[in-house]
Amino acid sequence: MEGIANFLDSLIGGVDLTFYSIVIGGLLWVWVVLRPWQDATHYNSVLLDKTAKLIHFGAKALIITQLSKIGLKIWLMTATLGKSPFPAFFNTIQFQAGLLRACFTFALAIFIRERLLRDTRSRLNWLLALGIAVPLVISGGWLVHGASRLEDRGILMLLTVSHQVSAAVWIGGVFQLLVVWRLSKQNMISIELWPLLLKRFSILGIAAVLILLVSGTPLAWYYIRSFQGFIGTGYGNLLMVKIMMMALALGLAWLNRAAVNKYFTTRSLYALTVRVPHYIEAETLILLTILFTAASLTSQPPAIDIPHLTASWEEVLNMFHPRFPRWTSPSHEALLAGEAGRVAIVGQIPSEAATAWSDYNHNIAGIFLTTMSIFAMLSYSSRFHWARFWPAGFMLLGVFLFFRSDAESWPLGPIGFWDSTFNNGEILQHRIATFLVFGLGWLETRARLENNQGALPYMFPVLAAFGGMMLLAHSHVGFEPKSAFLIQVGHTLMGVFSLILACGRWLELKLDSPGKKIAGFISVFALFQIGVILMFYREPLY
Amino acid sequence: MRHLIKTICLIALLHTSGAFAHAVVTHNSLKLKPVPVNQASQVELSFNSKVELDLSEVFLVSAGDKMQVITATPGAKPGQVLLALPALAPGEYAIKLKIFAADGHLSEDLIRFFVHP
Repeated sequence: MEGIANFLDSLIGGVDLTFYSIVIGGLLWVWVVLRPWQDATHYNSVLLDKTAKLIHFGAKALIITQLSKIGLKIWLMTATLGKSPFPAFFNTIQFQAGLLRACFTFALAIFIRERLLRDTRSRLNWLLALGIAVPLVISGGWLVHGASRLEDRGILMLLTVSHQVSAAVWIGGVFQLLVVWRLSKQNMISIELWPLLLKRFSILGIAAVLILLVSGTPLAWYYIRSFQGFIGTGYGNLLMVKIMMMALALGLAWLNRAAVNKYFTTRSLYALTVRVPHYIEAETLILLTILFTAASLTSQPPAIDIPHLTASWEEVLNMFHPRFPRWTSPSHEALLAGEAGRVAIVGQIPSEAATAWSDYNHNIAGIFLTTMSIFAMLSYSSRFHWARFWPAGFMLLGVFLFFRSDAESWPLGPIGFWDSTFNNGEILQHRIATFLVFGLGWLETRARLENNQGALPYMFPVLAAFGGMMLLAHSHVGFEPKSAFLIQVGHTLMGVFSLILACGRWLELKLDSPGKKIAGFISVFALFQIGVILMFYREPLY
Repeated sequence: MRHLIKTICLIALLHTSGAFAHAVVTHNSLKLKPVPVNQASQVELSFNSKVELDLSEVFLVSAGDKMQVITATPGAKPGQVLLALPALAPGEYAIKLKIFAADGHLSEDLIRFFVHP
């Protein structure tokens, strides 16, 4: 069960940051944007109640997540070390600070339920809630990587906590905006509140982004320190991905701000009600992906600590170099013959057959996706309307991956299905990805057969976003960190394109023209890019 | 909005990461001081962060990937760990580390080395 423990342990960091953002961002939303004690006319009790309930939900979920994190560490250590981690685990910072954080969150949840929800207009109540949240935020400082460093702990902890709080302000605020929009759509609050709160939040959002940059830049400098580290390590690579996704989220935030400014000039609610809510939904997807990427980033060794394992920019660029795709695969027997030497610790022999096997899988998958994206582009022309069923190609790709992904395990190899799936985190990820690809094709083909009726069409962007997240976190970590990084670099770029694919399709389904078509085409172009990266993929020999 | 909530739940439930290596060895004495033949010796490792030795394991791996637990004790400097190696015959070996760092990450690392006659 070590594989599944690894899987869950890596998952929980992003979940924790999400609920933390709902709590801390929600409280700061009330203090900066709503300020209910100052405005008795605009806000009705439904809005204030929903606002407090969302923060309360976040707090309850954060307690469960924090305790689960401790439980997972115990499980993981027991599975990995093969012995009980007690009593030593009680003396670790992780256990003590984690438990303390859960206690502060529990106190906050109790306070919201017993006092705040009874009077959501009281300034004192909101002040007390914020006061209880302060030690919650501070205790988190002992749970970040900076706390384990040998030097400059204090400043690293302070910068990381500031970075977390500013991210929480942005993301927690976006969650609150979604609540406001929902209430507005159901006519439970005045429609005038929507532009008003959007405008107020944009100021808070800009401040949050500035603090993110002010706290993030010295952290990046401290942990990376060189251009080579930024380009040639997993840590630098994931930071680059975060910056790219942040640029995407800022692009959507800019569209929202432009629409708000236009409203205050023209007083037309059209863009604010037809487009902006969907931009915010797409922005939420991107921001959540950033949180999960941030959680992955914290499990990578900082670039400054591994100068001897850093790849050169030429090696990184070579991973994307155009070349003829591999058409032929080594036999399964040849692959298995080289496996014992490849996985040996002492006397390791790199396997050319394993590398060729993997190249073939990636290159053929690339041909599948590139072809599908060309059909998808054609489907925008009325002459090629039949090409709209291009997602059926995902089902074929799923079958191909099922047989080829993990040759050493079932159905081709000797290791059983359950044994390989639950004891190896990498195989578990491959199994989920295969199922995801097949499901993506099946659901989207069905949706198109039914002319995009109901909820089914939304499954495509949902699954594509999840696929993107898996790619962003996909790792072949073994004992060859440089090779693992060179494999990771292509996967993370595909992850970014998968997110663009998902957001583009989401907006294509939700927006009006011409945004609809533009978003759809961007989405399909992202698929084309993924195909091209896969077609040229070459795995380093290890 | 309803679809978005479903999306968020799915993402929260299914996200994964395999990256799993935060505490890393930044220096080891094997580079400067080779292991002597047929003589017990000590290897010094320096980590980039604080490590919890009570929750960590270190193995000596010899030919045929045979593993033997070896003793790890804290060194004089922060982040420093001393490993007690038994007397070794000439050949290829490796030190396999399962280290629990103070930031809560359990890391695995491998250091290969030769004992020359």
